[in-house]
Amino acid sequence: MLLTIALIAAQTTVLLAVSPFLVGLIRKVKARLQLRRGASLIQPYADLIKLFRKQPVISTTTSWIFTATPYIVFASILTAGLLVPTFISQTPMNFAGNIIVLVYLLALGTFFLMLAGLDAGSAFGGMGSSREAIVASLTEPAMILAIFAIALTNGSTNVSTIVHKTALMEDIVTDPSPHLMALAALFIVALAETGRVPVDNPATHLELTMIHEAMVLEYSGRYLALLEWAAGLKLAVFLSLIANVFAPWGIATTITPAAIGIGLLAYVVKTAALAAFIGVIECMFAKLRLFRVTDLLGVAFILALLGLLFFYTLRS
Amino acid sequence: MVIMDTNAYDDMLKTAFPAIRANEPVCTKSSHFQVPKNLLPAITHYIHTQPNLRGKLTLLWACDHRPSRDTYGLYYLFTLEASHHWMVLSTELTNTDRLFPSITPHIHAAQWYEREIRDMFGLIPQGHPDLRRLVRHEHWPKGTHPLRKDFPWNCVLGRQQGTYHFPHIEGEGVFEVPVGPIHAGIIEPGHFRFSVAGEPIMHLELRHFWKHRGVEKLFEQQPLTDAVSLAERVSGDTTVGHSLAYCQAVEALLHLDVPRRAKYLRSLFLELERLYNHLGDIGAMCNDTAYALAHAHCGRMKEQIMQLNDRLTGSRFLRGVIQVGGVPRDIENAQLVKIVEELNRIQSDFSEVGAIIFANASLTDRLETTGVLNEQTAWDHAVIGIVGRASGMNCDLRRDRPFAAYDELPVNVALYRYGDVRARLRVRGDEIHESIRLIRDIRRKIPDGPIACQPGSLPNPGDWTLSAVEGWRGEILYAVTAGEGGQIHRCKVRDPSFVNWPAIQWAVLGNIIPDFPLINKSFNLSYAGNDL
Repeated sequence: MLLTIALIAAQTTVLLAVSPFLVGLIRKVKARLQLRRGASLIQPYADLIKLFRKQPVISTTTSWIFTATPYIVFASILTAGLLVPTFISQTPMNFAGNIIVLVYLLALGTFFLMLAGLDAGSAFGGMGSSREAIVASLTEPAMILAIFAIALTNGSTNVSTIVHKTALMEDIVTDPSPHLMALAALFIVALAETGRVPVDNPATHLELTMIHEAMVLEYSGRYLALLEWAAGLKLAVFLSLIANVFAPWGIATTITPAAIGIGLLAYVVKTAALAAFIGVIECMFAKLRLFRVTDLLGVAFILALLGLLFFYTLRS
Repeated sequence: MVIMDTNAYDDMLKTAFPAIRANEPVCTKSSHFQVPKNLLPAITHYIHTQPNLRGKLTLLWACDHRPSRDTYGLYYLFTLEASHHWMVLSTELTNTDRLFPSITPHIHAAQWYEREIRDMFGLIPQGHPDLRRLVRHEHWPKGTHPLRKDFPWNCVLGRQQGTYHFPHIEGEGVFEVPVGPIHAGIIEPGHFRFSVAGEPIMHLELRHFWKHRGVEKLFEQQPLTDAVSLAERVSGDTTVGHSLAYCQAVEALLHLDVPRRAKYLRSLFLELERLYNHLGDIGAMCNDTAYALAHAHCGRMKEQIMQLNDRLTGSRFLRGVIQVGGVPRDIENAQLVKIVEELNRIQSDFSEVGAIIFANASLTDRLETTGVLNEQTAWDHAVIGIVGRASGMNCDLRRDRPFAAYDELPVNVALYRYGDVRARLRVRGDEIHESIRLIRDIRRKIPDGPIACQPGSLPNPGDWTLSAVEGWRGEILYAVTAGEGGQIHRCKVRDPSFVNWPAIQWAVLGNIIPDFPLINKSFNLSYAGNDL
């Protein structure tokens, strides 16, 4: 019991600590590729500290939804993060829910964020919410199908079980194509859900083009800090999911100090590599036209579906 | 269409309208007619639509002549399509007569000009379909018309309440998105009101003129030879364009003959200004599609040119490089060689970046078919400059009405017909190469000699002239009237932004809201040059 609590605390700390680093790393990679020096890697931490110290300004036209949303978003994404293995394969919270719980915990945060975007009554928030609704409704099926394709190969919908089995090389997969299809689908979903190029541009100042940024446009102070941190957490959750489901190498399958040490190191290296890859992608592509985003997410859906089909055809 | 000589145009007009009187032309390649006011709609319609003339409304301005002859003057400038010949029509309104017939119903391009004249002079264009205030926002007290001579320049206005009526589009699911005048980025003030059904734009109305500085009134407080620094500040990114256009007007009034070397140096500065702005624009357009790589590289090249400007002239924005009668500082031939070497390096860099930009599929998908301004709309609005050339308007004053040293520096005009964001990007890309080629040409052809001439005699009060420069955005026009003792009586400033702003309202139709910033960036118009 005590060990479980300690491990939960450890995983929470790791997620909270790593997420600003990943955000900073993407920015750094982009800057270097553009021949800029770029902000220091500790800048996202400094930004959070600064925002937590600032007094929030809240529009008088808002309701309780506006002030409650940052907490709900932050809590739901953090809980989702505890369902995904990071440095130990059997995450201590794995009793709390499976992959479907994970998907809908993330959706809960998105739902409240959309409400909050509408709540302040500004035109930009409303536009952001309506665009987020398009994106979210298309990423959800793609994500579920992708995860199902993997769940089928491992015979479980519990992420920990999937990762643990893969890490121990039980049920050796003879043909990786369902996995590869699901990986591609999940990566596209991750880009869309975390508001990266080519779906959204986290670096823009143009209100009219924003999706995620438009919804949080009215936030300031600690509320903004929570939302920024939650956005970083979401990125960390997706990268953990991709890294550990498809490449669980190095993850601690037993609870020994040495295994945990290696697991932590492997986790940071794997997520950092994925973050750097996102940074490279952001430099290579322009943002899609808003109505082309549906095509991209359609591709993700088809890939996930193909993964499922491959599984059945290959088995028989 | 046949290119005829000047007299033929004049004869055509005189045959069609015997009541008009030919005046002395104010500059080369132009004619000037005194027209009775009631004939204005008919004559302008004739010039605009007659197949051999096809006159494009280039400028429309008013002047308060009441101190000397108790009238207001109205001036219409048309550019004939084939020959780029200028036709000036002028008419006089007596002091008691504040009405003039509007030509907007058949020449769309006149609409902002006539509203501006109504605001600044209190003269009323009869029959104008839209008589809302343009420059004078509603908080200006009733009856204040700043460009009238009896309006003191330093007068502090009170405030009044008033509402501006935006047209409302109604229907299920149609709503309005107001944007600005305060924006999230570092942008000048402008209000954009979109009527949208979901994301597609059904209607856009611009509301500008939030930063009226009284530039034209300030000109009238200055002697002709002193106002160069004011012209430089009309729009900070077009310092050379505006100061050159102003100086050319003053030189024409003072009958100065600018030395050839000074003319070449002026062309050099104008091309350098074009280069840094075009490079910055291409980068900024890529940045608006989140293609940050091209933005970074274009930003670097823009900075290199601005540092070059700084080394050559002591000003990154090329301030103080043009003066009445020439240029204040010479640039040695050895330095010109160095400039060309540096520009050659930048050109090879830009060729690489350009190849990346045009090969990138995701970027091309964003740029193509976005914000199309078709040729007919461009013609109707008399759209000029980069935007015009991307929509098939074959106009470039450097070729059509050569100024500075362009009579000896032939320019290849970049021309595209698609009118989308990509065409506007391509025009800029081509012009960057062309500018660098021109600078090489300048280095080869520049003669030795003096760089400035001495000021001559003062002009007669009432003398006026027109001057035009192809700045990086497009045609910059100055109409300068001399006053008593070498003062400025009237200085009409026309930045190309004033003409091209209304066209954006048409280019965005049917596009989606998140593409607007990109379309706007591809026009990249000046708020300051527009608001004056």
